[in-house]
Amino acid sequence: MSVIDQAGLSKQRVLDAISHRNPDRVPVDFGATAVTGIHVSCVAALREHFQLEKRPVKVHEPFQMLGLVEDDLRQALGADVRGVFRRGTMFGFKTEDWKPWCFNGLEILVPGKFNTTVTPEGDTLIYPGGDFSAKPSGRMPKGFHFFDAIIRQDHFDPDRLNAEDNLEEFQPLTEDDLDEIATDTAAADRGDCALLASFGGTALGDIALVPVPHLADPWGIRDITEWYISTRSRRDYIHQIFSRQVEIGLANLARIFARIGNGIDILFLCGTDFGTQTSSFCSVSTFRELWFPYYKQMCDWIHRNTGWKIFKHSCGSAERFYESFIEAGIDVINPVQCSAVGMDPAFLKSKYGDRLVFWGGGVDTQHVLPFGTPSEVREQVLRRCEILAPGGGFVFNAIHNIQAGTPVANIVAMIEAVKEFHGEA
Amino acid sequence: MADLKKLYDAVLNGDAKTAVAVTQSAIAESMNPATLISEAMIPAMAEVGRLYECDEYFVPELLLSARAMKGALELLRPLLAETGVQPTGRVIIGTVKGDLHDIGKNLVSSMLEGGGFEVTDLGTDVTPEKFVAAVQQKHPQIVCLSALLTVTMPAMKTTIAALENAGLQASEGARRRCTGNFPVCPADRCRRIRRERQYRRNPGTKDGGGNRPLDVRLNSRRNQCSFTQRQQGEASSISRFSGTVPRRA
Repeated sequence: MSVIDQAGLSKQRVLDAISHRNPDRVPVDFGATAVTGIHVSCVAALREHFQLEKRPVKVHEPFQMLGLVEDDLRQALGADVRGVFRRGTMFGFKTEDWKPWCFNGLEILVPGKFNTTVTPEGDTLIYPGGDFSAKPSGRMPKGFHFFDAIIRQDHFDPDRLNAEDNLEEFQPLTEDDLDEIATDTAAADRGDCALLASFGGTALGDIALVPVPHLADPWGIRDITEWYISTRSRRDYIHQIFSRQVEIGLANLARIFARIGNGIDILFLCGTDFGTQTSSFCSVSTFRELWFPYYKQMCDWIHRNTGWKIFKHSCGSAERFYESFIEAGIDVINPVQCSAVGMDPAFLKSKYGDRLVFWGGGVDTQHVLPFGTPSEVREQVLRRCEILAPGGGFVFNAIHNIQAGTPVANIVAMIEAVKEFHGEA
Repeated sequence: MADLKKLYDAVLNGDAKTAVAVTQSAIAESMNPATLISEAMIPAMAEVGRLYECDEYFVPELLLSARAMKGALELLRPLLAETGVQPTGRVIIGTVKGDLHDIGKNLVSSMLEGGGFEVTDLGTDVTPEKFVAAVQQKHPQIVCLSALLTVTMPAMKTTIAALENAGLQASEGARRRCTGNFPVCPADRCRRIRRERQYRRNPGTKDGGGNRPLDVRLNSRRNQCSFTQRQQGEASSISRFSGTVPRRA
């Protein structure tokens, strides 16, 4: 066991940071969520760099083709958080029955129902639940690195909308679901790392999930443009969806808590993006009308009934929503996209640092990490740690997933810089 | 008599049904279709752009207004062709190879159409060869390249190289505007592509906050368009091409 894991230091480190206490060192997350992960090609490259046991990397999140960060790599990366994921993926099949797959020349492992066909143009199509009789729900352009949802909105009648059509994906958990959650949580809980769980069902209008790539024949509003329009022109309809979704989601969380208690430390609540590179997708007043009541309802229940911290993801220039997030009860904000307007890390730390945990912000994944030099990566990482680490409230991660094509030298430079920040270089 | 103010308001407020209804009335009254565009739709979209820049309108409002305008334009397009009205200019637009995102591209396309441009939308995942073929066929004045993702931005460079290799050079002194998530020095960015340096400024990553609509302000008196941009996700490189390809009469 590495120094990092000894005597549960990793876990305590994270708990201190998310409680706004100074940890012994900056805690690190790579791979604990689908927004703090690493592309499978980079996971493979890192395994080779660190001379870990040679074996194909598993794709645990097929939509973004994220590689599973297993414990040996997690330790090599110096990461302190382990993810707990639902076995069902975004395409509806489970992470089981692994089979080999060749991905742009790289041999990897994918779930058994990761079923694909190739178009005449060379694009890869993937099928919901692995069902070839259904229309494909994802497309990966030839030579590219991940899937995009195929919009399937065959049953949309703007004059006859039924909110139940947009609730098909939000269902009460079955006993089998609960058994899996309990089993996987217990397996992840070894007392060494903090646990961050993504149970699903509580994301409000997450645009990645609106097209429901896991359903064979979706009804309702499933087109991204139509959804955005609906947040302006069909607010009653959106309210109906969110209201019922939260009702189901909280009932599920209650049943999960009854099974696992405080066996996890942090809950991934929602991945809806409110920011863009220079602005946002809506005004604060729209957010407070359409989303805030439901976030507050969920956060209130979680804080009253569990010891879980609440993790919210929102890309982009999201600072204008931070006060509302805090008021709703959000504890942790991710990815802290410092390259977006109004997201200067020093400003964020000074204004929100005692009330929000910044989970991310470590290095820019749009420019520096993929295209900079290792020296530039090091400089940015050190600077970000200097700004964000004092007083706790910071868990290091690159800003969002490490993308395909990111040089291993840059990823290693990032990891080494975090160590250097603690005098361990 | 068709109420141009009502059409203006309908486009501004994203009321597609009213926009279509007013346009139908105007057509029934044999109103000059160019009048509807120049006196109602273009001003409305300009105001939409201004409100977007002021942080009063956001992507949903832009989408609604674009939809209202497109509804009206679809009725007017055949009439414009009959009257022989020439477009302000011709535009080719598409999302580059490897990228399937289109919301920002669609918004730009709608705004250009609303400004009187003839827009050929090549869709998404467009190969450089397809851009070349479209330019050779349509002889546009402007080519718009859109990309959302960090990993697809380099496709802009290869597309521009393909256009240049096909002899489709940008005219001397042509203004190029790269609308990227970093609004600083967009011209710089274009020059870097032009010089085949590594493209260092990149749009949003996947899940990086979505799309990047452009605010298009049209100055019909000078017959130019200047683009003010705000946003991430989709970067559009806009180049003017002329010269070796004969202009269509």
